[in-house]
Amino acid sequence: MSLRTVFDSHPERRYIMFGGKGGLGKTTLSATTAVWLASQGKRVLVFSVDPQASLSDIFQRDIFGKGPVPIVQNLWAQEVDADRRIKDYQEEIRKKILDMYGFERVPEEIDNYIAAASAEPAMEESAIFDAVVDIIVQGDYDYYIYDLVPLGHALYYLSMAKVYDEWINKITKLREDMRQYDQVAATMRREQTIEEDRILSELTYIKERINASSSILTDRARTAFFFVVVPEEMIILDTVKAAALFSKFDVPISGYIVNRVLPAELDRGNIPAYLRNRITMQQKYLQEITTTFKQDVRAYVPEMERDVTGLPMIERLAQRLFTDDKGAA
Amino acid sequence: MADQVGPKKRRGVLGVFRDIVYGLSSHEMTRHAVRTRASMEHLFILITMGDLLGVPILPPYYSLRLLPYVTPQIAGWKRRMLRERDVTDVLG
Repeated sequence: MSLRTVFDSHPERRYIMFGGKGGLGKTTLSATTAVWLASQGKRVLVFSVDPQASLSDIFQRDIFGKGPVPIVQNLWAQEVDADRRIKDYQEEIRKKILDMYGFERVPEEIDNYIAAASAEPAMEESAIFDAVVDIIVQGDYDYYIYDLVPLGHALYYLSMAKVYDEWINKITKLREDMRQYDQVAATMRREQTIEEDRILSELTYIKERINASSSILTDRARTAFFFVVVPEEMIILDTVKAAALFSKFDVPISGYIVNRVLPAELDRGNIPAYLRNRITMQQKYLQEITTTFKQDVRAYVPEMERDVTGLPMIERLAQRLFTDDKGAA
Repeated sequence: MADQVGPKKRRGVLGVFRDIVYGLSSHEMTRHAVRTRASMEHLFILITMGDLLGVPILPPYYSLRLLPYVTPQIAGWKRRMLRERDVTDVLG
């Protein structure tokens, strides 16, 4: 089944993700797929939350931290500035404390805690995935193409999401027990009502956000996750391991895309030994990819004569990948 | 005038009587409920704001959302958590 057939036969899969090790071409494939879907009349948002995002580079436009920026008709691209988001969030918390208690300034101890929280490693992952929920909840696009942060982050977040969920359940239970004691004291004092527990509603909100962000990665009906591989031994081994881990967390893997395949026509006549060796190596590993991933290989993407940046180059690759179907398996 | 004072007085007497009954019967239970509630509040802050004592439990991104609601209790909570304890605590 080719990449195009996957999109044609599963129009309900609106959240598209390309995962893989750094530098394999996740951004290239995200941008290419986005441009092709937009050319088919779909409203598409391609976005990234990676601090080292390269959507700006591939579209040759500075879009970092500027919200959804129109690229061509039907296509918007967005790079979330995670640091800015964390800073804004901290400011929001400070402001809330000042508003709630009419303080002149936030007590030093509390302020230090807010400032120190941003240094926690879990802060960034949580902020990133919260940003993704915002993007998906607010927008009205047909397709969301998520130029994913490196795999480790996604796996870490998915595993933490389960732990967080358990924790929130326990904390919520404690809060509900506390509320019963409030109720008992109020009844005995013959007070009619007790105040609404705003912490309880915040906990419910947090739980919903955590579930929403992890379900985007694990929603079998609406998510398509593609692994990008190149015909090299270490990459194949890593991908097999990563795929096993992702399956464990119920991420629906929709297939593998083999990038950087040297064109077959190169292997003609008198070619330098270096090139011949590369081609022989690739053939060996392409064979291995076929036996390892079998019918789940969706496309073979040729190594282009130059790097894929700028719209004309992306459109050319999209043409080869989706229309010519030459790259299809 | 007398009509107005009458019911008020009756309410007053009834009120005092109610308070006495409450004091004799339920006050201790109410106090217990309030104290248990306060202990649970401290447990809750420990779970959510443990970072303040160097015990990270809930990820900071989410605990920050709860911080404004427990801000007034933080000082008392830290005092209670960090104070030295001795054998009289067990007896108490």
